[in-house]
Amino acid sequence: MELKLLSTSDIAVFVDGLLKAGKVVVAPVLKQSGKVFFKPVQSFAEVATDYIQTAFSAKEVVFPKVEELFTYQHNEDGSLDIKDQLDRIPETVVWGLRPCDAAGFDYLNQFFLKENPDVYFKARYDKTTLVTVSCSKCDESCFCTSVDSHPGDTKGSDILLTAMDGKCYVEVITDNGLALINSAKELFTSTDTLSKEAFLAKPATHFSMDEIKDKIQYAYASAEWKHASMGCYSCGACAFACPTCTCFDIQDEGTQDHGKRVRCWDACGMSQFTKHASGHNPRNTQTERRRQRLMHKFKYSVENLGVVSCVGCGRCIRVCPSHLNIFENILSVMN
Amino acid sequence: MQDKAAELLKNGTVNLLIGFSEDLGKRPVPCFIETAEEANILVFNQECKNNLSVYLHKKEVKDAVKIGLVSNIATLRSVMQLLSENQLWSLTITYLTVNTAGELVVLSSAEELEAYVQANFPTCRAEDKEMLDKLNAMTRAERWAYWKDQLSECVKCYACRAVCPMCYCTVCTTECNQPQWIKTSAETSGNFEYHTMRAMHLGGRCINCGECGRICPAGIPVHLLTAQMNLEIEQEFGGKTGWSLKSEYAMNSFKPGDKENFIK
Repeated sequence: MELKLLSTSDIAVFVDGLLKAGKVVVAPVLKQSGKVFFKPVQSFAEVATDYIQTAFSAKEVVFPKVEELFTYQHNEDGSLDIKDQLDRIPETVVWGLRPCDAAGFDYLNQFFLKENPDVYFKARYDKTTLVTVSCSKCDESCFCTSVDSHPGDTKGSDILLTAMDGKCYVEVITDNGLALINSAKELFTSTDTLSKEAFLAKPATHFSMDEIKDKIQYAYASAEWKHASMGCYSCGACAFACPTCTCFDIQDEGTQDHGKRVRCWDACGMSQFTKHASGHNPRNTQTERRRQRLMHKFKYSVENLGVVSCVGCGRCIRVCPSHLNIFENILSVMN
Repeated sequence: MQDKAAELLKNGTVNLLIGFSEDLGKRPVPCFIETAEEANILVFNQECKNNLSVYLHKKEVKDAVKIGLVSNIATLRSVMQLLSENQLWSLTITYLTVNTAGELVVLSSAEELEAYVQANFPTCRAEDKEMLDKLNAMTRAERWAYWKDQLSECVKCYACRAVCPMCYCTVCTTECNQPQWIKTSAETSGNFEYHTMRAMHLGGRCINCGECGRICPAGIPVHLLTAQMNLEIEQEFGGKTGWSLKSEYAMNSFKPGDKENFIK
């Protein structure tokens, strides 16, 4: 890991340079709805800087909401053309994501690549560089410090920026990050001290993962799941806003002769998710579905991949039409 | 309201009361209480915006039969519309609301409900009216561009459908796959199909509670689509949604004397 300094005024020069070099830069953009979304930008001027959290996570860069897997075409001579887009994925820099989102990429990486690597995810992930920005502000939905992270965490990032005291500290974490810095060497100077703790946001800590790992073993049978799920409307807002929810549905769109196969986000909270063709649904009530979602985050992914798959970004709390609160639910079913 | 709720639960008028309590951040959250002892968690204020009537379709609620429903005026209008569509026949509902003078009002029958709603009927929200005027003043191309930009952000989480009391179909058109009427993928053309279908199904039934737009995680004002449909249906056919227990749904009622002849 290397530590560098970038003058605040050179941030725009750096980003515009990346664009000029032909990279796709995906960054937070404020839209007229007042919400901030990750969008490809044409210049740094479009990038939003004053936001606590984007409406949706940056996972869309490596796991799009609709991903074309291939197109097919039946030709008149009887031959069949099947084409994918894997070799056309551009070098992409995700700019301005929060440490919680970067930690989400760390999980996605494990999920999609640990066993049976997913070629579509890998093709995108290999071309993606993450430039994360530390948080100086948080709100009552943020809880990263409860899930083994913090507002200045470098987990999952290639580069972490911390802008304070009129300077921008640049923590270069991976070779990918180093390559990006080296593309504009002249903008960076070396430094050897960084103490960012005073600058970082202080989200409330509601529990510790050590505490959870133990107690969650007995949570399945808790009567509190019913309370934690009665208000759930069974939409997919929490799952689609989540940086680590990875469920998908494969669909064919088109006719017998030509069309495409797409992969779309899906959500375990939706009533159709586990419904069998026979009509039987093993998770027939919202209580079972809400339990599955939370147990997956805090128990099953820890058992299967060794990592908790909740990064504490708080998006599910902010978007929930019923204001269901994941950390309150977890606390209630554990106690 | 807490006292009244406790009384209703205690004397057996109500088995399950749907209301609002507060989370740790003091935000109102829907709550479901079954005993008088729990009634002290209830709150009701201007921030209690959720339309709780949507929960009347939930199995656990239907099973409880005798329901207490903490309601704002939009919730009451939704119930009126649902009653006119014969949807709540299995339930006995007691409504708890607060009138404009800040007094608790308890409504125990459909007739009392109808009288209260008609006496307190809300007008279209000023911000919605302003936005609709703006959209209607646009050229068709501008309006198309506006909705294309908005709907490109839709992720098809179906939160708009889930919070809507009028979206009570057990199987939604979006979930039919033989044939597949609506694309599953959340790309802009599929999003147009979904939101157009939804607006068509709700035109003349939507009571303009605005929940679908308020809770959209992508901030898309989808409620304006149904609000506009309603305005047009009101102009063409008259009548207001959620006004009368005997409303007829303009888009599917037919009389032999109708002037149109396309169906004869």
